[in-house]
Amino acid sequence: MSTQFMARESERNSTLPPVEKARMVRALVDELIPGGDGWPSASEAGVHGIVSLRVLGEWSEEQIGRLAALLGWETGGLSSGDAAERVSAVRSMETADPDLFDKLYTAIVLAYYETPFVVEAIRSTGRPYSIRPHATGYAMAPFDFSRDTPNHGRGHYLKTDDVKPVDTSTLDLDTNRTERWGVER
Amino acid sequence: MTTDRTCDILIVGAGATGSLAALVLAEAGLDVVCLEQGSWVEAKDHPHLHADWSWQRRTNWSPDVNKRSHPDDFPVNSDSSQILMWNAVGGSTNVYGAIWPRYRPSDFRKGTEHGLQPDWPIAYEDVAPFYEAADRLVGVSGLAGDPAMPPRERCPTRPMPVSKVAKRLASGFDKLDWHWWPVEAGAITEDYDGRPACNNCGTCNGCPRGSMSKYSMSIWPKALDAGCELRINARVLKIEKGADGRATGVHYVDRNTGRIHFQKAKIVIVAANGIGTPRLLLASDNLANGNDQVGRYLLHHTLVACEMWVDEPVDGQIGYVASLISRQFAETDVSRGFVNGFNFNCITSSPSAGELAAGWFTSARAPWGRDHHQWFQRHFGHSIGVFGIGDDLPNPENRVTLDPVLKDSDGVPAAKTHYAPGENDRRMMNYMLDRLEELAKACGAFEYRLNDYRDKNGVYRTPAWHMIGTCRMGSDPETSVVNKWNQTWEVPNLFIVDGSVLATGGVVNPTPTISALALRAASYIRDNFETLSRTTRPSIAA
Repeated sequence: MSTQFMARESERNSTLPPVEKARMVRALVDELIPGGDGWPSASEAGVHGIVSLRVLGEWSEEQIGRLAALLGWETGGLSSGDAAERVSAVRSMETADPDLFDKLYTAIVLAYYETPFVVEAIRSTGRPYSIRPHATGYAMAPFDFSRDTPNHGRGHYLKTDDVKPVDTSTLDLDTNRTERWGVER
Repeated sequence: MTTDRTCDILIVGAGATGSLAALVLAEAGLDVVCLEQGSWVEAKDHPHLHADWSWQRRTNWSPDVNKRSHPDDFPVNSDSSQILMWNAVGGSTNVYGAIWPRYRPSDFRKGTEHGLQPDWPIAYEDVAPFYEAADRLVGVSGLAGDPAMPPRERCPTRPMPVSKVAKRLASGFDKLDWHWWPVEAGAITEDYDGRPACNNCGTCNGCPRGSMSKYSMSIWPKALDAGCELRINARVLKIEKGADGRATGVHYVDRNTGRIHFQKAKIVIVAANGIGTPRLLLASDNLANGNDQVGRYLLHHTLVACEMWVDEPVDGQIGYVASLISRQFAETDVSRGFVNGFNFNCITSSPSAGELAAGWFTSARAPWGRDHHQWFQRHFGHSIGVFGIGDDLPNPENRVTLDPVLKDSDGVPAAKTHYAPGENDRRMMNYMLDRLEELAKACGAFEYRLNDYRDKNGVYRTPAWHMIGTCRMGSDPETSVVNKWNQTWEVPNLFIVDGSVLATGGVVNPTPTISALALRAASYIRDNFETLSRTTRPSIAA
């Protein structure tokens, strides 16, 4: 079966009208990043539009339909008037498809903090932040040799001629295997 | 198509090392042609000046060749590492961070020290003058006098400003009685060589200002002025070898026209990075690989990381990407349970609020829902990142090969890579993680998170900026690919000048060393051009 044929089939099977798709995306971004305490909600910042362009625009009807099903959009989940129901719907989606959730959440968060309204909100917290730092730069005092040069005196290195054989016989690198390594030890 | 012109020097790849070789050899009056499969990356092409730069850093400007879709790239099929590179004039300096530390003398003597790595055929003292030359050319900021390193000349520009992050980390190192020093950077703190000083923007993945040494802005203009001919969109398909055992030239495709050309040359220099170079040699009828060494011993460094958050704001979103370096553990101490050492590369933080909230250095990110803003305000401006970067042991099975199925758009087999840390590397990473935890506590972090770069299946997926060792330099033709002058053992007029020649990885970012070695090799070719352009004796300089 050709990809084109499959795409046409999925279009015929789609039940979610465009207005509902837009409402679902808007509801999702606001559930993930609500407003409050001087912060605009994600939709107030326009995130639903940015994410739709960047991510959802490339999705098939089948993918949109699957997202709607995961969020319970047509069954009183994310579309519910009850806040607890909406949170539960998003949490279910996060559990059911964590990779998809991560992809969407990352896109939503990045879009949110790019918007000028959110940049302004960041600045109002007292932290310096530029929407395009490369264009504006940040002011910093230059290194002062008399003030800033370390004076701790620590540190050593081996000169070329001082490199001598070390005894590795106790390491047992060939026989002792470290199976538990990394953060989860 | 074959042209009659035989150039003196043909360079494959216009990245950092290709540009340096082009400069040295063109300034000597030689007829130099450089072929680059990508094109120029102009300032306005960079994402830095657009509001969506955070998004672009994760998509079309991702340094991961497998996370962007770019026609200049060739496919790399990796079963483990994230393959980070950029194919264009200036190579990966279009997206790198330019942390600029040098190898230390013991890095060249690991064979003597423990025998689990080879000695280099050269010593630190052979490279030192070329470190200085490279620093002057690219423009480096830093502070001479580090007691943990050999003496060096004064850096061309003063160190980066001392950030709040640097002060906080320095206090932690002091509590632990560990070494620290202002980081050396391939970025200028004062106007230098016609380029403006760093403006502390923090967006250090490439630098369209040219404050950070993007080689297309710092080196290439000089090489072109000296007469080098640079052909862009010219993808090399194969290096040809004649009956006398010498390289005769290369076949390449003009990607704009689709026409295939053959460029004849007296000397061929490959500068296509630690993956591109072995791929090209293997695809060129196994060139220079009679000993089955090409592509083996892929090194990435042992890499782990810690993200910590401190109460007092440190505003790590501003300033150059790195702050300090600690060489406390750089030398071997077998009482730790492993050989070799590591450094701490102290980063500042992400310059992007969105990146920090979405998860930057570790898996930590802002929760969704009503606690999102509270988390953000507690963590943004309070974040510090530290890498542990160590010397991994070479393993012949960590390697670059040709993919039996996947090919690029011109029919050349894709590169296939495999990398897994060995026993010594695992022990080192455990030790590094424990020390990072100590550092976070000494810095007074209210929260910290470690990163071992293992995925949910336990596979080590290191962000591999450093792709080295795959055509390594040595004194034994049986166990190395090039001699001490970067000349291949088998093909006397074929040189490799990129990071694939590094016999050991050291405990640092390799670009300064790769650049110094490229200058050294190019100087040798310049000084011995007449002999090298005729000889059929393999490795006359061995």
